[in-house]
Amino acid sequence: MSERQLAEAFVELADTLVDDFDLMDFLHQVTVRCAQVLGVSAAGVLLTDQRGALRVAAASTEQTRLLELLQLQTDEGPCPECFHSGRPVAVADLSTAADRWPRFVAQARESGFASVHALPMRLRSDLIGALNLFGGQPGALDERTIQLGQALADVATIGLLQARAIRHHETLAEQLQAALNSRIIIEQAKGVIAERRRVDMDEAFDLLRDTARRNNRRLSELARTVVDGSESIWLTQQAPTTSGRAPIPLHRSEGSVG
Amino acid sequence: MTNERVMRVWAQVGKQSQGAPATLAHICAAAVAGVNVDGAGVTIMSSSTVRDVVHTSDRIAADLEEWQLTFGQGPCVDAFAGGGPVIALDLRSPDSLTRWPVFTPAALDSGARAVFALPLQIGAIRLGVLDLYRARPGPMSSYELADALAFADATAMMVIDDAAGLQPDTAELAWQRDDPTAHQVQVHQATGMIVAQLGTSAEAAFARLRAYAYAHDRRLGDVARDVVERRLRFEPDPPGSYERDEEMA
Repeated sequence: MSERQLAEAFVELADTLVDDFDLMDFLHQVTVRCAQVLGVSAAGVLLTDQRGALRVAAASTEQTRLLELLQLQTDEGPCPECFHSGRPVAVADLSTAADRWPRFVAQARESGFASVHALPMRLRSDLIGALNLFGGQPGALDERTIQLGQALADVATIGLLQARAIRHHETLAEQLQAALNSRIIIEQAKGVIAERRRVDMDEAFDLLRDTARRNNRRLSELARTVVDGSESIWLTQQAPTTSGRAPIPLHRSEGSVG
Repeated sequence: MTNERVMRVWAQVGKQSQGAPATLAHICAAAVAGVNVDGAGVTIMSSSTVRDVVHTSDRIAADLEEWQLTFGQGPCVDAFAGGGPVIALDLRSPDSLTRWPVFTPAALDSGARAVFALPLQIGAIRLGVLDLYRARPGPMSSYELADALAFADATAMMVIDDAAGLQPDTAELAWQRDDPTAHQVQVHQATGMIVAQLGTSAEAAFARLRAYAYAHDRRLGDVARDVVERRLRFEPDPPGSYERDEEMA
């Protein structure tokens, strides 16, 4: 990754902040950029639900296996450890950590991951979550890459809080709870789309995100209309750049589409 | 841990209901006793203008619900519309007056000083709001906030189960039903798939999923996985029939 590409990645993320801001799409972008810039296989953002557990907010791929691995960390794994200590957790070789986190390590290795890192997401004295990085090969990330990763974790934190100045736990609660609920709406919408269109959950997410971007809609707002059927929306088979196909209606009243 | 908190919340509800079926009134009373607030109110809404049910713990809480409905403004109204908690730490602050010019003086007159409006929601499922108030200004501790959010979760589950005809229930049984797998992504994905399969609302779809899990004595997350992996689909009820969900070979 050249300096120029790096700078571009940060500029692109900063750009998202000023435009009509879509938090869920932004967090997704951060995780995708993490995978590219840091040279890891996958990345995810977990946020505190403020009841004592971490919940999935975004992932670099929407494959259910990755989401499951992230959500497994309500109980055990590098992210809860990072979240509770406030310090980065690095496991260069997952095979050495089976005693520490039996379920997490088994599932991570089954998914083809060999190393894992967790970096804290912090707002002043408050920890709000963790950035999770998965490598396909054993090996620790070097100091420069960790610093870059921490910078991206900080960008994700800023994105989460940018809507207003955060002065109190309560205001933080407003933002965090809304973000986690948006994530649930997106999962529900993925289910609707997967069933109507007979596609996988990650394809369903791509359809949703592409449609939101093309129509200048926030991901979670569009997702809500998909779930409650309050609005007729159109999801094309593929992004228009790769397909000239006519859009296929998705709305409930249009009947089943298979 | 989360589970201990959920258990504690239901135990507090159980203390209020004393073996009888738990109601929203018991939840309000338990929240007042458990979260260190002066009063609680639950409003169940089918839309931002249609209010179905209200339970309040005292006169001030009742006033707060009434003002918000009457004036169409207030933390509860915003929490229902916005999808996240809305917290007014001090109703005497200029911020509160700017945001809710009619509600704020009325609420202060009634004797409330801080309001914590927590939406009862699961993604796109919007059921209503749990309003907690204090006669003094200031934030909740993070511990109190965590308990308050857990009370909102418990209230949402009770409302969903009530609507699905899954009550009556003791708080003890309700707690046993409160399954930690309910947070798994597959549960939300399955809810969406059932929305499409039945052509119904997300609330009804989620209730069907829960009803199926209870009826078959299975964990919610496991049933959801079967739906997502297309081993189980839900069929619309023919008129007058009961559970007709079919296992696919």
